[in-house]
Amino acid sequence: MTWHRLLTVGMSYAALLLLAVLFVSPILLMVVGSLKPEARVLVEAGSLKAFLPGEWDLRNYRDVFARVAFGRYLFNSLFITGMVVLAGVVVNSLAGYAFARLAWRGRKLLFALVLAILILPLEAIAVPLFYQVTLFGWRDTYLVQIVPFVANAFSIYLFYTFFLGLPRELEEAARLDGAGMLRTFLIIIVPNSKPVFATVAILNFLMQWGVFLWPLMVTSGEAVRPLPLAIATFYTLPPLQWGDIFAFGVMMVLPILLVFLFFQRWFIRGVVATGLKG
Amino acid sequence: MSHRALISAGSLFALPALAGLLIFVAIPFLLAIGLSFTNLRLGSPLPLEFVGLTQFVRLFADDAFTRALWNNLLFTSVVVPVQTLLALGLALLLNQPLKGRALFRTLFFMPVVFPLALVSVVWILIYAPGPDGMLNSFLQLITLGHWQPRDFLHDPWLALPAIMLTSIWQGAGFQMVILLAGLQGIPEELYEAARIDGAGRWQRFWFITLPQLRNTLIFVMLVTTILAFRLFEQVQIMTRGGPRHATTTIMYEAVQAAFSRQQVAKGAAITVIFFLVVLLVTLLQRRVARQERL
Amino acid sequence: MLSMSPSGPGGVDRPAPASASDGHGLGYVVYPAMRIFLVSLAFAFLAACDRTERPQPEAGAVQLSVWSHAGQAGERRTIERQLQVFNQQQDRIQISLTFIPERSYNAQVQAAAIAGALPDLLEFDVPYLYNYAWQGHLRPLETLLPGTLQEDLLPSIIKQGTYQGHLYGVGTFDSGLAIYARRSLLQKVHARIPVHPKQAWSVQEFEQLLDRLAAEDDDGAVLDLKLNNPDEWFSYAFSPVLQSAGGDLIDRSNYQRASGVLNGAASVRAMQHVQRWLTTGKVDPNLDDAAFVTGRVALSWAGHWEYRRYHAAFGDDLILVPLPDFGTGSRTGQGSWVWGISRHSDVPDKAAEVIAYLLQPEQILAITEANGAVPATHTAIGQSPLYQPGGPLHLFVVQLTEGYAVPRPRTPAYPVISASFRQAFADIRNGMPVQQALDRAAAAIDEDIRNNHGYPPIEAR
Repeated sequence: MTWHRLLTVGMSYAALLLLAVLFVSPILLMVVGSLKPEARVLVEAGSLKAFLPGEWDLRNYRDVFARVAFGRYLFNSLFITGMVVLAGVVVNSLAGYAFARLAWRGRKLLFALVLAILILPLEAIAVPLFYQVTLFGWRDTYLVQIVPFVANAFSIYLFYTFFLGLPRELEEAARLDGAGMLRTFLIIIVPNSKPVFATVAILNFLMQWGVFLWPLMVTSGEAVRPLPLAIATFYTLPPLQWGDIFAFGVMMVLPILLVFLFFQRWFIRGVVATGLKG
Repeated sequence: MSHRALISAGSLFALPALAGLLIFVAIPFLLAIGLSFTNLRLGSPLPLEFVGLTQFVRLFADDAFTRALWNNLLFTSVVVPVQTLLALGLALLLNQPLKGRALFRTLFFMPVVFPLALVSVVWILIYAPGPDGMLNSFLQLITLGHWQPRDFLHDPWLALPAIMLTSIWQGAGFQMVILLAGLQGIPEELYEAARIDGAGRWQRFWFITLPQLRNTLIFVMLVTTILAFRLFEQVQIMTRGGPRHATTTIMYEAVQAAFSRQQVAKGAAITVIFFLVVLLVTLLQRRVARQERL
Repeated sequence: MLSMSPSGPGGVDRPAPASASDGHGLGYVVYPAMRIFLVSLAFAFLAACDRTERPQPEAGAVQLSVWSHAGQAGERRTIERQLQVFNQQQDRIQISLTFIPERSYNAQVQAAAIAGALPDLLEFDVPYLYNYAWQGHLRPLETLLPGTLQEDLLPSIIKQGTYQGHLYGVGTFDSGLAIYARRSLLQKVHARIPVHPKQAWSVQEFEQLLDRLAAEDDDGAVLDLKLNNPDEWFSYAFSPVLQSAGGDLIDRSNYQRASGVLNGAASVRAMQHVQRWLTTGKVDPNLDDAAFVTGRVALSWAGHWEYRRYHAAFGDDLILVPLPDFGTGSRTGQGSWVWGISRHSDVPDKAAEVIAYLLQPEQILAITEANGAVPATHTAIGQSPLYQPGGPLHLFVVQLTEGYAVPRPRTPAYPVISASFRQAFADIRNGMPVQQALDRAAAAIDEDIRNNHGYPPIEAR
């Protein structure tokens, strides 16, 4: 029996290793390529040397800053994503609580509407929304990239299901103490809901960090351009230098990668939460 | 606390979110439907006309759009099973008490964290034509030299598969994590009982794992399906719909129409069709999931 | 929905009831996250400050917004410098410049126009001028610019910028399109080297030359058609081929019909030649945009903007050859980026001052130094070492002034014409029968013209 076990374990490791190498090689290509002088990046991409930096330097990184306002793009992404997440957490948690716990006119109907909106991805409204904001002159600002994404049906739903599961004794205790609705929410519900807040925050951060379609349509210059759009335009900016592009990519993914590595547990939980919803 | 205060508190709490959803989701959606019956072009000095179903009729006579529908279908029917199988395989591998599996899990999930725009740009180089291209030389290696280097992104047959591969690479980790959680939720007793009954490895998988995982699998496939219909970034950045519409998608056509060519009405019509497709897929999934609830 | 267990693996936990005074729960996750977020924000902000200099408007100075396209690095830097110098030299006008990516430039202009967010002064590719003017986005310039300046402009510049009798855009340079080659390689295969467009190679001679060059070449690809260039390139660079064969993109008598012209026999013949070059492997895909400079190909079908780079690589070995003659004589493209003033600008006179500044001979020479383009005024041409008679790029001037250069169709339908021809080129490149590809393109163009009721001239507002 142990021989059989050893074989299974061995094969599993082999498979995992092989797959891990396949999954990681594009990332490695990018990281190592960012450290190479331009002349070698393309030429070595086809060999094992793609993964070996040889003598490496940071000139590509310096080049990125010399060619474009990378710091600006980074700030834009951080600011826009941060604002969407923060505002979203506030707005959607309040709504989720209202649906879960409070009685008010139209609650059932409006919740059905929220559920209906759940299946609408951004793309289903991107075109008419683009037309709307353009018509009203609302282009090239931070707000136009933030406000439309604050209210989020999925976040509302996640909050809703979580708050539903909270024991009613909590609120009842608070109400006996004479606390108002808002106070109850802030003092009782929120502190007891850190998992869902973390989940929603992280999911939204992940989603918002990568938006490309919307800024493509509603921003023009560099001033409020976020990172995903910035790297796509950087790729089309003459002269085409892959070392620079890779350096840009590394710097661009570092923040979200760090957030991911630090908050891996929450990330995974967040992703799984979307699965549990099904 | 009075009943009335309770009511107004509720609506106040929900107000910001509902207002946001109304203004930025519901109204645009209705606007799309309305616009799709017109001939609206951004900036045209000609008067706006109501044209009934003309936009839709024209769409289905439009080569690019019908190809886009087909491409999305093809893309979905390949990516969803392949990515799900891959993710399931990874999840099964990681479901064993192996040392270092947390590291593997992190590695497989990392591409999910990468913005699609970045993934698209990096993979352009991987698909570089000629023997120097990374994928070309890799394929030459494993076919022992028989592979002829191809220009993936400009090849009418290979461009869409190339995008499929990129998408699978980026998305498998996401599904894997959900499936892994699902696997870990299967009670050990079921397996114990089966083992006692003499069920072999494969039978345990087929009769316990899969049924227990059924709804999670279906859900994971639904999410991937909808994501597949939203395909845009890779096309916009890597192939721009080419060669010869080989990689154009519904969303790419919508953005091309509305944004690049200012044909907002046409873009709106495409959007409406897109929504109907997504709706159909979602309803199908609900149907299938509802059958035989275990 | 799967039920949520109290401590399910990866499930969203239901916490044990906490008392009303328990206040530190949320901080567990949020505060470290907030700290990291705020610190990154601070760093990013600091980094952002070092690159972008927001000019501080001085009291009383008029703010002028300007858009330019993000083209070649040298061009960009020159425009930036020119406008910076303009800012420094006087204090009545403060320019703030934005670079827009070239690929989506037209889409951006259109969207900004509807949003009422067009800059005061904007650069744009001239073929779109007719559409912008028709839509009412631009302001006529003939009353804003000094008469002497307008007289010094090349006739092609005036012609390309005029729609319905008004001047809507003025370029500081015109473009040149030809075949860059290396004298040494042509001499090696004993090729005749034409100097004037009337001596151009016939297309048969050209194809024989390609064969001879291919025999000497490693991979047989000896021609660079700049297939990697963004969209407008294809219409610009290859519609002259149609015209050289006797065809065209559209019937120019009234700009109402492309059928019969774009898919007429002459146009089809011309594109069949091009298709042959592509399908017989004579053309390098040029993905790294370096096929010519690294010596992979002997010939590069390219515009004036490549001169700097090519000259740096090959020095005196670099020569310019007119495009082949497909039947009725060598034809080439013309037209380039022009400056226009948006209709809703409140400072059109100031914007016109900037245009006049950019048209001064020193400024024209500065930009043409950077991008190798043909200077827009006779004065500047006379002072340009590149473009004077005898200069290395004088061929471009000859093509422009002696009628070998054909402007792109001056119609609001141009964006669709360009997109349709570009699509047709892509199809032809992939082996679609030329007649079919051009039929589709012509049909698309005609449909657009119909949908827009023939683009009737709208009264100038």
